[in-house]
Amino acid sequence: MRINFRSTMVALLAVTLACVLSVGAMGAKAPVTLSFWPSSNPQEIEFAKIIVKAWNDAHPDIQVKMEPLPASRSTEEVLLAAIAAGTTPDICANIYPGAISQYIAGKGLYPHDTLPGFYDFIYARTPKDVVDAFTYKDGHVYQIPWKGNPIMLAYNVKLLRANGIDPKSLATYSGFLAAAERMVKDLDGDGRPDQWLYAPTVDVTWWQRLFDFYTLYIGASGGKTLLSGGKVDFENDAAEQVFAFLQTIFKKGLCPKGAMIGDAFLSGKIGSTITGPWSVPYYDQNAPEGFEYDFVPIPVPDGVQGPVITFGDPKNIGIFANSKHPLEAWEFVKFIMSRENDLLWLKITSQPPYRRGIAKDPLFVGYFEKNPMMATFVEQGVYTRGVDDSKYLIEIFDTISKQYDLCCVQGRKAPKAAVRDAAQAVRDILAGW
Amino acid sequence: MPEIAGVGPARARRPFFGRLAEQYRTSNKVGYVMVLPYIAHFLLFTAYPLVFALILVFNRWDIVTPMEFIGLRNIQRLFRDATFWTAVVNTLKFLCCHIPLQIVLSLLIAVILNGPIKFRSFFRGAFFLPFVISGAVVTILWQQLYSTDAGILNLILTRIGMQPVPWLTDPAWAIYSIAIMATWKNMGFYIVLFLAGLQNVPPELYEAASIDGANRTQQFWGITLPLLQPVMLLVVILSTIGGFSLFIEPFVMTGGGPAESTLSVVLYLYKQAFQFLRMGYAATIGFALAIMIFIVTFIQRRLLDTDQPV
Amino acid sequence: MRNLTKALGYILLTIAALTFIYPFLWMASASLKPENEIGTLALISRNFSLRGYSAVFKQIPIGRALFNSGFVSITSTASVLVLSSMVGYALARLRFVGRDSIFNLVLLTMMIPGQLLLIPMYILVVRLGWTDSYRALIIPALISNMGIIVFRQFFKSLPQDLVDAARIDGCSDYRILFQIFWPLSKPVLITVGIITFIGSWNEVLWPLIVIRRWSMMTMPQMVTLFHVGGLAGAQVAAEMAAAMMLALPVIVAYLFFQRYFIESLALSGIKG
Repeated sequence: MRINFRSTMVALLAVTLACVLSVGAMGAKAPVTLSFWPSSNPQEIEFAKIIVKAWNDAHPDIQVKMEPLPASRSTEEVLLAAIAAGTTPDICANIYPGAISQYIAGKGLYPHDTLPGFYDFIYARTPKDVVDAFTYKDGHVYQIPWKGNPIMLAYNVKLLRANGIDPKSLATYSGFLAAAERMVKDLDGDGRPDQWLYAPTVDVTWWQRLFDFYTLYIGASGGKTLLSGGKVDFENDAAEQVFAFLQTIFKKGLCPKGAMIGDAFLSGKIGSTITGPWSVPYYDQNAPEGFEYDFVPIPVPDGVQGPVITFGDPKNIGIFANSKHPLEAWEFVKFIMSRENDLLWLKITSQPPYRRGIAKDPLFVGYFEKNPMMATFVEQGVYTRGVDDSKYLIEIFDTISKQYDLCCVQGRKAPKAAVRDAAQAVRDILAGW
Repeated sequence: MPEIAGVGPARARRPFFGRLAEQYRTSNKVGYVMVLPYIAHFLLFTAYPLVFALILVFNRWDIVTPMEFIGLRNIQRLFRDATFWTAVVNTLKFLCCHIPLQIVLSLLIAVILNGPIKFRSFFRGAFFLPFVISGAVVTILWQQLYSTDAGILNLILTRIGMQPVPWLTDPAWAIYSIAIMATWKNMGFYIVLFLAGLQNVPPELYEAASIDGANRTQQFWGITLPLLQPVMLLVVILSTIGGFSLFIEPFVMTGGGPAESTLSVVLYLYKQAFQFLRMGYAATIGFALAIMIFIVTFIQRRLLDTDQPV
Repeated sequence: MRNLTKALGYILLTIAALTFIYPFLWMASASLKPENEIGTLALISRNFSLRGYSAVFKQIPIGRALFNSGFVSITSTASVLVLSSMVGYALARLRFVGRDSIFNLVLLTMMIPGQLLLIPMYILVVRLGWTDSYRALIIPALISNMGIIVFRQFFKSLPQDLVDAARIDGCSDYRILFQIFWPLSKPVLITVGIITFIGSWNEVLWPLIVIRRWSMMTMPQMVTLFHVGGLAGAQVAAEMAAAMMLALPVIVAYLFFQRYFIESLALSGIKG
């Protein structure tokens, strides 16, 4: 009896407390809290910290809490698990369009076009064709185009000059390979080379292929992506040429054998590397005294005409369907993408935002004059491709990675066979075994 | 259990449930309360997952969209999936290197340590150290030691006039390099097991053998080894289970490469589940793995457990 | 001849012991060295600095991970001791219908390989909304089959007189367990405690699956991701420093309680 009495008291107390609290909450109108996940890249965290602070200072009733996405796990994995568990943030600023169909299938993302004033805002900032490219087949827009990273070839100015190599000669495969042969040198005389032109990675993680095979394939094919109309579109000469090109580099010993300690490009062990504008602040902070670098378009097979098209590595911002405060989140997103913050973003991360007429915008002109390298990226930005929209994209890249390893790194397979096997495996995946 | 058992003929005629009820009436009820945490844990974290794993085998599921029943296609896929079988073969290669190396080296050191040795506990402690340390630490450390161009293992090899070894960069070497590392990590543990086994050998047996004129070597082969058979079985079975559970080593060191030569079954399961979101297929791999562990250890028991009851 | 074999034994042992200790010393030394000296065999450098460690603290919330690991390991170890000893006590000393079936169930479930349950366990945790929380790390580890078996076996060996005398004094079974049996069970408590703690501290696959946010990661997971994810920016000293911070607490504990560690963990092999 005593126990019953006690538990009744406890229950009563709990109910009273809950009532008091909820009444209190109604009266005071507790501030809205938005969770915001930026990428874990140090510059992006720095930017996020600044804008979150600026926003929070100006909006005491809408507080933003930021937590970077874990690096090294792919963002896709993290977000999908969060969607499945219902633990998504309100806003994520690292939405990779390649995984979008899975997010949508999981009803994870908010249909942004239904937000008030969405199209007015977005068309004022972003060219219409970019918005169209990110509009889903059901007519909704589940991601807000934000920024892209045109992938280019960075080179060490002094090192190439010292070896008598004209950076323009790196534009074609034949020129690149000839330069690569010239660059291989054994400087310390221990019988092993310690200088190269380029060091392709042996890492077989799927996303590594975005920045070698896929980038080169877009260039070689004049702008194709892997799929077309939901079918394999890479069983062709261009893909074989890319495989053959990379295979030659490994086979002829034009690159180091194992992983290297430290940053090989900054330490002058390699003369060039395929990368995006995000490397600019990293190089500026970590380069040794007197290090000079610049960017040229990626190499393409001899005979490819017209401007070089490359991988644009687009990253967008998304509000999640789970968000209890989509309108407040939308206000914050507009704040991130404002003209002033786009400039701040550019200054901190060197990644070009998708902003209309940015090169001529008076607010940005001063920046581009000071950073001519970034103007190069903006020019290249017009000639980019993203990734296909397939829920099997990671598996497709993993398949290609396997053939890359066998054909290019290990040299155990002819390029033609590698492309054929990759295409067959991808067809199998697309058929939904 | 006399008080539960009831009395002879009357008990036999009573219906089963009545008997159970009677036994329950005389049971110590505190016992039920005390085992409750286990029952709850078992239901939630063993029984439910087990049933769910079985359901997953017949479904395709990416967690975010509804499950789709696909019959036996996951199982069919498993048999056709060359990558899965590569992972199985890699595991077998690993075991073929790891188990003999483990047994020979740990037994050798255990025999030396079992003799009249000073600083025995120091040596034992030194050998045991890697076993208590996280596999993540050991793997990160050994990746540095194994580095082809800059690692200190190759530095030592070239100093003594040998060729550097492409430890983790050559598909022919990589899985064996991982096996060597695993042997190093676990050896202390097996040394201790062997030491315990050696100390259980009755000294009279050796005395009798030396009176009969058997030398040390003969004693080792004739007495020590046969008596160590139960320990040997334990070492083989534990190493086998460890080999099939290989994950963090390839995850950190090689990502499964080069040329899938270090892809382990658990790493493949991890990729299917968390990169490709094929939960059904990953669960199928989990079942296949459990069945393989069962079969291999069963065979080992049969082969090694000839006449000694363990 | 005897002396020769003896000397040979010592030499062999010393070389072997060196190969077991040297890598850890090398790691400790590399965590303090500047990058360009790491590829050498020497353990001492004039240029030792804590740069690697400060880089780790700057780039990842490793202090938080240390706390998470400690909290998770201590909570689950404490719970395993309490709950497993309780179940072990019931299975050893109390009579009730179904007792033997439950014990057989414990033995049986111990034979199920963890990988089989990995995927459904993950889904369960996702469905319960436990991802990125301590619940995902602690609750599945609240009780251990191995602990139950070890406690049951030990409690069976304690004399019945103890229990009878306590019952006459009016002690409940809980008091008998925690006030009479526990003080007599120090070696078993230490054994189960060490096995559970080390297992929990070193576990990496499970946190890797259920924890994705930096603020909730455990040490082994964070150190692994720091290394694999290239966050260390290819600074070997920083990677080694992170690895050192993960290993050091265990090494220190091991140096103090070496004997218990070895005996306990060897037992885990025999029971497991």
